[in-house]
Parts: sequence; structure tokens; C-alpha cells
Amino acid sequence: MATYDAIIIGAGHNGLVTATYLAKAGKKTLVLERRPIVGGIAVTEEISPGFKFSTCAHLAGSFSSGIVADLDLKNHGFELLGLDPLLFAPSLDGNSLLIPRDFNKAAAEIGRHSKFDADKYPAFCALAKNLSAFLQTLYGIALPDKANPRSFNPAELLKIGWKFHRLGEKEMYEFLRVLPMSAADWLNEWFENDLLKATLAASGILGSFVGPRQQGTAFNLLHHQIGASNGALRTSGFVRGGIGQLSQALAKAAQRFGVEIRTGAEVLKIVTNSGAASGIVLQNGEEIDATQVISSADVKRTFLKLVEPTYLGPHFLLQIQNIRARGTVAKVNLALDALPKFKSSNGNDTVALGGVIHIGPTLDYLERACDDAKYGRLSAQPFLEITIPSIADPSLAPTGKHVMSVWMQSAPYDLRGSDWSQQRDTLGDRVVNLIEEYAPGFKNSILHRQILAPFDLETEYSLTEGHFYHGEMALDQIFFMRPVPGWSRYHTPIENLYLCGSGTHPGGGVTGLPGYYAAKEILKNRSRQK
Amino acid sequence: MPNYDAIIIGAGHNGLTSAAYLAKAGKKVLVLERRHVLGGAAVTEEIYPGFKYSVCSYVVSLLRPEVIRDLELPKYDLEIIPLDSTFTPMPDGNYLFRCGDHARTRREIARHSVPDAEAYEEYGQLMVQMAMAVKPLLGMIPPEPTTWNPKDLFGLARVGNHFRGLGEKLLYDLTKLMTMSSADFLDEWFETNVLKATMSASGIIGTFMGPRSPGTAYVLLHHYMGELDGAFRSWGFARGGMGSISRVIAEAARHHAAEIRTQAPVDQVLIKSGRACGVVLASGEEIQSKVVVSGVDPKRTFLKMVDGRHLDTEFTKQVSNFKIRGSSAKVNLALDALPNFTSMPGDGPHLAGAVSISPSLDYIERAYDDAKYGDYSRRPYMDIILPSMLDPSMAPPGKHVMSIFVQYAPYHLKNGTWPEKREALGDAVIETLSEYAPNLKNIILHRQVVTPWDLEQEFGLTEGNIFQGELTLDQLFFLRPVPGWAKYRTPIKNLYMCGACTHPGGGVMAASGRLAALEILKDMKLRLI
Repeated sequence: MATYDAIIIGAGHNGLVTATYLAKAGKKTLVLERRPIVGGIAVTEEISPGFKFSTCAHLAGSFSSGIVADLDLKNHGFELLGLDPLLFAPSLDGNSLLIPRDFNKAAAEIGRHSKFDADKYPAFCALAKNLSAFLQTLYGIALPDKANPRSFNPAELLKIGWKFHRLGEKEMYEFLRVLPMSAADWLNEWFENDLLKATLAASGILGSFVGPRQQGTAFNLLHHQIGASNGALRTSGFVRGGIGQLSQALAKAAQRFGVEIRTGAEVLKIVTNSGAASGIVLQNGEEIDATQVISSADVKRTFLKLVEPTYLGPHFLLQIQNIRARGTVAKVNLALDALPKFKSSNGNDTVALGGVIHIGPTLDYLERACDDAKYGRLSAQPFLEITIPSIADPSLAPTGKHVMSVWMQSAPYDLRGSDWSQQRDTLGDRVVNLIEEYAPGFKNSILHRQILAPFDLETEYSLTEGHFYHGEMALDQIFFMRPVPGWSRYHTPIENLYLCGSGTHPGGGVTGLPGYYAAKEILKNRSRQK
Repeated sequence: MPNYDAIIIGAGHNGLTSAAYLAKAGKKVLVLERRHVLGGAAVTEEIYPGFKYSVCSYVVSLLRPEVIRDLELPKYDLEIIPLDSTFTPMPDGNYLFRCGDHARTRREIARHSVPDAEAYEEYGQLMVQMAMAVKPLLGMIPPEPTTWNPKDLFGLARVGNHFRGLGEKLLYDLTKLMTMSSADFLDEWFETNVLKATMSASGIIGTFMGPRSPGTAYVLLHHYMGELDGAFRSWGFARGGMGSISRVIAEAARHHAAEIRTQAPVDQVLIKSGRACGVVLASGEEIQSKVVVSGVDPKRTFLKMVDGRHLDTEFTKQVSNFKIRGSSAKVNLALDALPNFTSMPGDGPHLAGAVSISPSLDYIERAYDDAKYGDYSRRPYMDIILPSMLDPSMAPPGKHVMSIFVQYAPYHLKNGTWPEKREALGDAVIETLSEYAPNLKNIILHRQVVTPWDLEQEFGLTEGNIFQGELTLDQLFFLRPVPGWAKYRTPIKNLYMCGACTHPGGGVMAASGRLAALEILKDMKLRLI
């Protein structure tokens, strides 16, 4: 008799979601986390005394509202702070774009740049919303895989067909057409203002190795609208207390259902017994056995480090090695003495800087930024997504001071002719100097800076090649191709070993969905076994 | 009473194919061509005395076997000479030479990498399997995915069933191939950069994408499709130049009594009460017919030849959104002698095949980067053949013609216009090529540079796109040319499309022309016309 019904490797948000749902169904569950705190990349860390950073992921707007309600996260301390404005996109010519949360105000702001675009904006948002909603519907459908060869039945097909037809003919075709497109091509069909197009295209390249002119980025754009979205822009939000509060709330919910969580407990190996997983060994040598082992670590790490390769077929191993997870995102976290003063914010920084600050004024700029990464270079003029959550949530920094979180792209994991120990500070300087161009005097307000290059994300947060999404969200790595063809339903070739991280369907972002669907699948499987 | 059953606009190979099929079915057909020669982009012209250029298209690989059979093309003296080697010179004096001789190619690849030589075999087998899996789709009318119409649902089920029947592994590989970049796809197989670069190059021809752009992998398949039909090799050259292909299809059409008029540019499609009923030529002449079939691209057809008031704005918008960015140019040279490549000096079999200037993936990707921001590639990717090596009649004795396909040359230049930049592009091509064949500059007798702008002006290809519309996933199958109109019909009754802008797309395949004709005949039989 095993000590636990299920052991979950990694207390990231997906691991915690899976654990909670399993415990809720009566399973005796243990979660093992390598780091001293739970959360994975959804953590709040006090890097500098008094300054609390969402060190890695910084926005949580797409976290599944279904899970929030199901697990009663609000009563466990989770509070989502809606962004307003959604977005501020400064440009060097002083012509900034501000998109307030209110729909009509947003159209009016866009109208300052282009009347034509303002007229089309509502229709575009409505379309994007419908398409991403259908995408989310598709995510919920069980995919065929090796472990469930006959699951793709006619009834399921008819159900999808029915839901698809509810889009209406025009949007049905748009869905099929837009999904493989490039974000730039799609937006060019709608809008004329480059700043607006670049701002909207940004979510198409988040975590992506390619620029907005490349195919598949329109899919990525729609993927990032999932959750409580108004369509065109991620109606994202901060978590009060930093994104770590989401993980804390999940941990509390988990514990309420009896989940045991151990931090500082690094898993060294997954133990297998005649082809089936039967437990794990910790770094300190301790062995814990369980009926099922569920890994929320990234797929490459799981199979190339934690599992003895002799248990895996060469074809499967090759598939795992071929997963593209080229990290291109770096995080720069800055403790600030004062709010930066952007040249183009008309002196109204507290209002303008409350949401996402987007640096990347044209489509060409974003495309060029990604070009550098192709040749293994740090982007000379990177695309930045900046947030200053302490405006909405002053508890994150001492009075009057602020925390700034910068998501910087493209910083390739594999640098050619150099390495990150040499380039880390170059990256930091480049980011700071770039912001300085938009907000003169900004440099002098920096009290502390933390740089997390892809290499650091790998060593500190165990993300292979520093990829936040455990694998690129490219057209050949989604749906039934994620994590690898044939294994899209959280099963693995090793019996009783499952996956539940971002590397699985439906993929990256702080959504909780992979964890949720994995739990559903695991529970279904168990009831079938009985 | 109309004088004709069908008028075909444009005597390109697709237009001629449609005409031949319709004429063969007993219809009275008239083909109208704007230029003085037949063939559209598949033409042979003697631009410089004694030297025959295949001005635009220069190789044939995918000409559909059923077209050859149905129209009995061999009867009209069509000969395709196989081009079975690819020679890639490298700047360091090394080279890669792949040819029809299996053992030799294997040894040659092993010279670069032993594992690659092993993988090459398996890769080739997989590609042939996948090409066979895709082929049936090229010959079918795309079903509409958005209706509950039983016929379309049946069609979709057929497509679904076809794919399911392929088996799990092939299906997954095919999905990867359809969505990945050729560089990523080849990275999974090979390690030799020059091999990957040369193979990936076939994935970017005619596209506005680089080898690292997702969506370029599936074009790799095209290289393997032709090989399946016994009689035809992967890539071939038509004796007498590409114009020969147009000539034989035209002869087949004429044999069935189709009429073909050159120098007869169509100005407008005549439309009465929502139905096409003929055309007006630029000369003002009106010709009546029961149906009008456009072999030209949709932008030219609907935005120029059809009066906008006959179209709803949604359709017009879709046509405007059709991506048709030209990205390639042609340079044709008359040579006094053979080029001498540093890495493989002298005359030899390497000059009888394709010469590819694609030394590394980064090289091609950089060429693409130039084009992305509106400039032609300073050091372009080139696919070169010397037709006179295969067919001596193309040039005077001892002399040669060289056909250079150049990428990238974007239609929209950021600075300047193509008439200003045309020769600069020619110079960049010659400069780059001279690095590999230093004697080139001294042997050029004549040079013709065909930019995307020239392709538009002279050959009527909007934006100079050689496929009449980019071959990207969002513009394929039931989405080509525009969603809802993939079955060769248009919102205007009796107006049909038969060019490369329709399924299955570009390349000298003649598939679009055939499928369009079959659909028209179906409608005629049902007396819808």
C-alpha cells in the first residue's frame, strides 16, 4: 500500500490546481516543491527589503474564473485587481496611445490617432472575443491520443461542429483563416495606425521566438485573450499582494482539502517499477511512494532528467528532445524611488502607468527585436512589457516608492559567441537605457535591480532553457501536438506517470487550465480502473 | 445568341488547360491573351538574338499526370528533360553536390556528416510517403467547412477519413510539416548547415517568408511530389523552354477547336443582371459568351475587370485582403562561355542541374530580413539553371543561357521604385554569383532583369507574385482564393476563376485549370448556365 495516492512534482500554479482537484476527489496528495516557497513562476518575492516583486509572471488576468469559483480562492486571499487603463504605449515622438478599460473611452483615445481605426476597433474586439472564446471551447474538448485511441467519437465531433456553427458562417471562416496567420497580416487588414497595431500584436509574440510577421502569431494573440477578456486586449489584472498571492490562495485551498505541501524538497528521480511509476526519490535520498506521480515540471526536465532514460523508447525520447523551448524572455525587476515620468504621458503618470506599459512602437520594431534572437544576439532594441503594480497596490513597496516589473524580449537562451555571465548586465543596462529614452531621469530613481536572464530562469526556477511556457506556443506544438504528438492527454508512456504543467495542452500562461484538465483526466482514468 | 460557350481570360497554362478541357467536351471556346505570346508566366522568348529565355517560370515538376493523359500532351511533342542534381557552392571553396545517383549523393553527404547521410535516406522515404498522402487533395474540389450541406459534409468526411487512414505517425508528421518552419523541421533531421539551407530553400520559393518562418516546411514536399509519376522526375526542364508546355497545351486546345487570340487584352467583364455574359476588349470590341473564365489573379479580376457595383463590400474586402506580395525576381543571362565555379572548376554534371546559392540557413534568413523591411536582398538566395546544357537549341553553338531565380525582391520597396533599382538588383546578383564563379562578369553578353514590378507590368501578375497569391495556410484549400469561394465559382454568376489563385495553387501544375473546367462542365450539365 503506497503512502500517497498522488505525488505532484512542483508547486507551480498548475501543480497546485491538479493537487487540489485530486484531493477534493478524496485522494491523499503530496506536493513537493524544490524552492522554499510555493508558486513556481507565480511568486511574490521580497528582493530588496520592503519591495515585493512578482519576480517572473506578473499578470494573472487569464487565470480561469471557473477554478477561482470552484476552489473558492477569493476566500483564501486571492483578489484580482482589474487594470485601468489597460495599456499605455508611449512612443519617442511623444505621441502615446492610452487605452482605458472603458470601451467607449478607448475608442475615443484611438480616434486621436486614427478615426478610421476607432470606428473599426469595437468590431475587431467583438470578433477577437468570439474567436478566442471558441478557442477556449476547443481547449475543453478531450483530444485523441495514444492512451485514448477511440475517444474522438462522432458525438464529440458533432458537438464541436454544433458549437462551431454557432459562430455563424463569416466567423467560422475567420476562425479557420486567422488561426494560422501572422498577427501583423491580420491587424493590417483592420487598422492603419502602426502604434495601435504594434500594441495589439504584442500579445501575439509573448513568449514566442518569432516576430509579429510570422505565421502562428495570430493564434498566440487569441490564446492570450483567454479568460476575462474584452477581445482585442488582455483585460489583464494584478493580484493584490503580487502574483504569489494567487499561489498562496491555491495552496491554502489545497491544504483545506487535505493536500500536504512540502517546500525545499527537490525531487531527484521518479522511481519506476516494472514500467510503472511508483514514487520519487528526493535530493536528500528520502524515498516516497505513491500510486501516481504527476509532474508539473516542464516536459523536457521530466523526461530527460527525472526519469531513467532506459524506460523510454527512442522515438519518444527524440520527440521530447525536439520540443522547441528556446527561451527568449528575460525579466528585469526594479525597485524605484519614485514613479518614472514618461515624456508622452502628459504629466499624468499615476493614471497612465497603472496598467501595462508597452514599449514597441511599430510592427517593424517588434519584428526587428526578434530578428536578433535568430542569430543568437541579445536584441539591440527590445520589446518590453512593463508593469508598476505598486500603483494599484501600494502594499508592494514602501510609501511613495514603487516596484517595476519588466518583461523583456528577445534575449535568447543560446547566445552566440558569448554567455549570460557576460551579457546579464548588458541586458540590464540596455533595458534601463531604453526606458530612460522614454522617461528621462528614470535611471536615477533605481534603488535596486534584479536581472533574470533565460539562463537564470533555468537555474533558479527549473525552466528548461528558461522558457516560461515550457515549450513554444507554435502551431506545431499546440492541441494534439502538445507536449508531443500522441500524448496530449496528460498520460505518458510510463504508466501512472502524468503531466500537468504548462508544457501540456492548452499551454502557457497563468491560466490554471493544464492543471485542471490534467486532474480531470487522471480522475477519469482512475474511475475507469475501478 | 452568344458567339461562344466560354471565354477564357489569359492564355497562361491554367487558362489553356481549362480551354482544352472545355473544348474537348464540345464547347465553343475562345481564349484571349493580352501579350503577343501564349503562356503567361510559362513562356520562351528570344529577347537577345539566338538566345532563348524561359523568361519567368523555368522548371516543371508538378504538371498533373491526369492533365497529360486527358489532353494527350505527348502527342504534341512534349519532352521533359530531368534536372536531377543540385550543386551548392560554398564561400570556403567547399561544395555540396546531390544528384540522382543515390550512392554518390550518400557518399557526398557523408563527406559533410555521416549521421546526415544515414538520415537522408529515411527522410526521403518519409517525404515520399507524405507527398503521396497530400497528393489526393491536389486533385479534389475543396469542400466547404461551414455548411451542413450533405455534399460538403461528405467531402469533409472524405478528407478526414483520408487523413485518418494515413495512420498516426504519418498524420502527426504531416501536421508538423504543415505548420513548422523548414529550418526547425530540418533541424530535427540534419546537422549540416549547407544541406539544411539548400533543402530549406525549396520551402521559401515564391513566398514572403524565410526558412525560419513557420509555414515554410510543407513546401519541402513539393520537391518530392513529382518523383512519384514514373515518367516524370522531380524537377525537369521542358525542351524548347517553358513555352513548350504552353505550346503543347494550346495545341491540344486547338485540336479540339478552341480559338486563341493574342494581343487581345480584356478590359471589362460584361455583366448583365448579375450574370457574366462576355467581355469588352481594350479596343472596345465586345464578345458575348455564356460563361467567362478568368485565368488572371483575383485582384485583377475583381478590382479591375469587374465593375465594383456588382460586388458586395464584404467580398471586395476579402479580395483586397488576399495576400499577394511578390518576393522574387528573375535574371536571365546570355553567356559567351560556361561559368567556372571555384569550388568545382570546369565543365561537368554540376552545370547540367540546378545550382543553388544557399550556403547556410543564416544566409537565406538574412536575405529575408532585408526584404522584410522593404529592400531587395544584398546577397540573395539564387536557384540557377543553364537550360542550354540540357537543350543546346536554347543558345547558339558553344554559347549558353543562364536562368537565375532570385529571392528576395519585394514588390514594395521602402526607398525608390523598381525601374530605378532594377539594374542595381541585377548588379547585386552578378556580384554575389561572381564570388562563386569569378569568370561570370567577363562572359555576359546580355542580361535581362525581371523584377516583381516587371512581372506585374508585363505578365499581369498583381504585385509580381508568381503564384497569383501567397501559398500560406490561411490561403490554401477551402480558403483559396477567398473563404467561401474555393470552388472556382464567384459571387457573379457565370464568372469562374481558373488561375493559380485557386486551389491547389501555384507552380506549373495545370491542376486549377482542369478542376475549374470540370466544375464549369458540371454546372453546364445541370443547366445552371
